[in-house]
Amino acid sequence: MFIIDDLFLRMLGIELPGLDMIWVMDQLQKYAYAKLYDPEKIKNRIKETRMLYELNEIAPDEYERTNAELLRQLKLALRATEMNLNVRTDILGIGEEYE
Amino acid sequence: MSPSEKGTGIYVYCLIKSTGEKKNFGNIGFGGREVYTIDYKDFAPVISMAPLRKYDIEEEDIEVHQSVVRDVMIEHSVIPVAYGMVFKNKKIIFAAISVGYKAIKKAMKKVDNKIELGIKIVQPKDAPEWNGKTDELKLDFLESLKQVAAFSKERRLFSKRLLWNASFLVEREKIDAFSSAVEQLENKYDCLKIQYSGPWPPYNFVDVNILSRRRGGFR
Repeated sequence: MFIIDDLFLRMLGIELPGLDMIWVMDQLQKYAYAKLYDPEKIKNRIKETRMLYELNEIAPDEYERTNAELLRQLKLALRATEMNLNVRTDILGIGEEYE
Repeated sequence: MSPSEKGTGIYVYCLIKSTGEKKNFGNIGFGGREVYTIDYKDFAPVISMAPLRKYDIEEEDIEVHQSVVRDVMIEHSVIPVAYGMVFKNKKIIFAAISVGYKAIKKAMKKVDNKIELGIKIVQPKDAPEWNGKTDELKLDFLESLKQVAAFSKERRLFSKRLLWNASFLVEREKIDAFSSAVEQLENKYDCLKIQYSGPWPPYNFVDVNILSRRRGGFR
């Protein structure tokens, strides 16, 4: 809602320095989350850990621990991505199609 | 029933060619349910009854899906279906197959009587950086292995240690010839680690989202 309001004000040619600052912080936060919860990066780490385990470079217990943690991160990341997708779907008004 | 569950649905593990009769693969599905086929034209989705819920990334659940497909592919050519595809009823499965029928037929023609094998060239741990020409190395592998494979696909390098990552679709009769070619390359490049894996369902040669329009959603 904030972004729409913000864009609306911009459209009218109104700039509010405070709001702009919040907007920048909002973008930075989104960027940080995207970096932290990039599913592709986590998938790469899962594959790498598996490869190193198969090459006997990681002990079984270490592999299990690391893999469980990465899977937990991937689940969170996918949930975050899905949440974003859902927002977009709802805007298009077809969110209920497969429910 | 937990709030995220909406009753029982039909989980699809993969598609095979119809044999004209119901095939039973035993009680190996989710919750130890029977895995069997239902025919739609010349295809047979491999299914079991399963809770109608979102299939999250849980190792145990993924293992159930994978082990069913592994079992099925011992005797059948499979078109893999994405993990987590559970449908409300048969009618919707048949509708989904009907929509993708041409693509499924094309995919089946491509993977029929073939399996996927994977090759990774890995830089050994603590070894000095590979100082050979990587392009020539890749080309040597690709040219040697392509001769015994039907299709090949180079894949993304997901680790700094990886020099090359590729998948090959190989006819079942040519698996031994492919393995010999890999062995020769292993001997030639004994300073590198070669990881040879499979047989896999042909994940990299067909669109595994063949029945889905949205990952993990139920229909």
